[in-house]
Amino acid sequence: MLIWQELKTFLRHLLMIAVAILMIVPFLWMIGTSFKPHSEVERESLLPEQPQPQNYSIVLRRAPDPYTGKLLDLNFPKWYFNSLFIAAWVTALQVLTSCMAAYAFARIEWKGRDKVFFLYLSTMMIPGLVLMLPNYQIMVALGLVNTYIGLILPAAFSAFGTFLMRQFMLGIPKSYDEAAEMDGANHLQIFLDVILPLARPGMITLTIFTFLGNFQSFFWPLVMIKDDYLRTLPIGLLSFTGQYGPQTELIMAATVMNIVPLIILFIAMQKQLVAGIQLGGVKG
Amino acid sequence: MNTSTRERGNRRVALLFLAPNFLGFCLFALVPLVLSLAGSFTTWSLRPSVPLQFIGLTNYIQLFQDKNFYFYLYNTGYLMLAMPVSIAGALTLAVLLNQQFQFKRARYQPRLALTAAVIAALGAAGLWLTGSPSLAYLTAALGLVSALGFLFGSVSYRTFFYLPHFTAGAATIILWSQLYNPNFGLINQVLGRFMEQPPGWLTSTKSLLGFLPLPAHFNNGGFGLGAREAIMIMGIWGAIGGNTMLLYLAGLSNIPPDLYEAADIDGASPWQRFWHITFPQLAPTTFFVCIMGVIGGLQGGFEQARLMTEGGPAGTTTTVSYYIYTQGFERLDLGYGSAVAWVLFVLILALTLANWKYGSRRMAD
Repeated sequence: MLIWQELKTFLRHLLMIAVAILMIVPFLWMIGTSFKPHSEVERESLLPEQPQPQNYSIVLRRAPDPYTGKLLDLNFPKWYFNSLFIAAWVTALQVLTSCMAAYAFARIEWKGRDKVFFLYLSTMMIPGLVLMLPNYQIMVALGLVNTYIGLILPAAFSAFGTFLMRQFMLGIPKSYDEAAEMDGANHLQIFLDVILPLARPGMITLTIFTFLGNFQSFFWPLVMIKDDYLRTLPIGLLSFTGQYGPQTELIMAATVMNIVPLIILFIAMQKQLVAGIQLGGVKG
Repeated sequence: MNTSTRERGNRRVALLFLAPNFLGFCLFALVPLVLSLAGSFTTWSLRPSVPLQFIGLTNYIQLFQDKNFYFYLYNTGYLMLAMPVSIAGALTLAVLLNQQFQFKRARYQPRLALTAAVIAALGAAGLWLTGSPSLAYLTAALGLVSALGFLFGSVSYRTFFYLPHFTAGAATIILWSQLYNPNFGLINQVLGRFMEQPPGWLTSTKSLLGFLPLPAHFNNGGFGLGAREAIMIMGIWGAIGGNTMLLYLAGLSNIPPDLYEAADIDGASPWQRFWHITFPQLAPTTFFVCIMGVIGGLQGGFEQARLMTEGGPAGTTTTVSYYIYTQGFERLDLGYGSAVAWVLFVLILALTLANWKYGSRRMAD
């Protein structure tokens, strides 16, 4: 009987291993192809016979492209920096503004609060597509097209972030604020010293989602960026495929450099993330 | 201090806290909302040569007479058929992950992990030396996955399942467009071993509903696997182990165990347990996931179309969102683009409300 149960557990493991392999096969192919020399790309194999790690140096412009003998016409390192830079600014601003607004919605009692909050919630229903075209026109009017600020500013405010942080802050017992108030703390001090430290799990979740979403964001940079030096990684990959389309091994090396940091980030933060998703309901 | 001055003081502080967010909210959500509605009744264009004129319902009339709009709406709806598949898949994975992965004899776990790792390492080394690096690579991956699986159980499987969703973006879309490549893509290399003529994927206008008598301008390529199926398969890969699965896992852990104990006493089969306890108990999650799926799905398909297919072949992967993009940023006609966006918005609202009504009634039963 015991053996039967252990065998069932073992079979369960086997089934899950099979599914897991199926899920990661595209990644395995991606990594293998990124090391292939161009002559081997069409061969039916996951790994090259003659690995060519230089593909990475070529993409990073540390080595010349073997076909033209020149450095690639693309600024991959700069795009990488742009993506990190923009995502970092958006995340910092969005977490700050969301936490402040959430504090006003969750910890202060004022007239009209629920109405304003409902207004916020209802805008979460508006498709981003409806807002994109006029937002672009606003950016044109403000002269922010093709600038870092134009990429950062519209993403720095989020109804979803406000909603998520409010849910977290509502869960903090009221007695903490009251005790701080007795000690003569004002709202700014309560916010900074009491509520923010207690809302940290929520902030971590929001930080990861916002960072990830903006690191991967495609539509807005696509319409906002005209110059090569401002491109972000996703837009860079698009121009990469346009220009070096047949050189699959280089495209895969670039893709690996985009995806692998995300895999590491995910494995490092997965505990907080899973808790955050299950609490907040959705990915931002 | 009496209560009313306190209230007023509170309000001032609250508004100060709210101010940065609220300003951004007005500038980038409320103002554009009004602008886009107003703009949809005008000749609003990014071309300086076109004067801004109020033209009433012209954009909307043009839209409803636009045969292609219905084609793109059909494409959008067809791609959304991947949604029930990924929801069912996510539920299946969640139920599987929710089972017991701990062995009764705890010492089995590290031993099995070690065995798997050793066998895989030896196998990989042997295959490498005998000249099949690809199989060695697969064996090594298999060894790693099984060793981690035996050691950490469902947490480790959950991580592998969630990876495609976490990394989803331009990079994975480009990765898949290479996987579908008819010459060197992995998918047709594998399928080529079993079939004479592997599917044309991203270059094919075929679809699984290709047998339907669709209008001629739908560019129906007949029954088969085409670009739309390619996008759907990629979508299912990305979604099946994603947030939906995590939400189902959370839902499963909230089902009171005594429900199952009662079912056991009644001698219920696993199938009955699922349909009479698990599935109804998870109804709120299913409901939420469906609503979010409809909202997201109707707006979806832009990145895939832009990065993989340029909306083709023959427009078969052009969705409404990609249409709005091409109208706005390629034809520079923001007025018409806004009209399309608003029709889509109304459609989303209507479907969400219908979903809500139908869903709440079902849940009340």
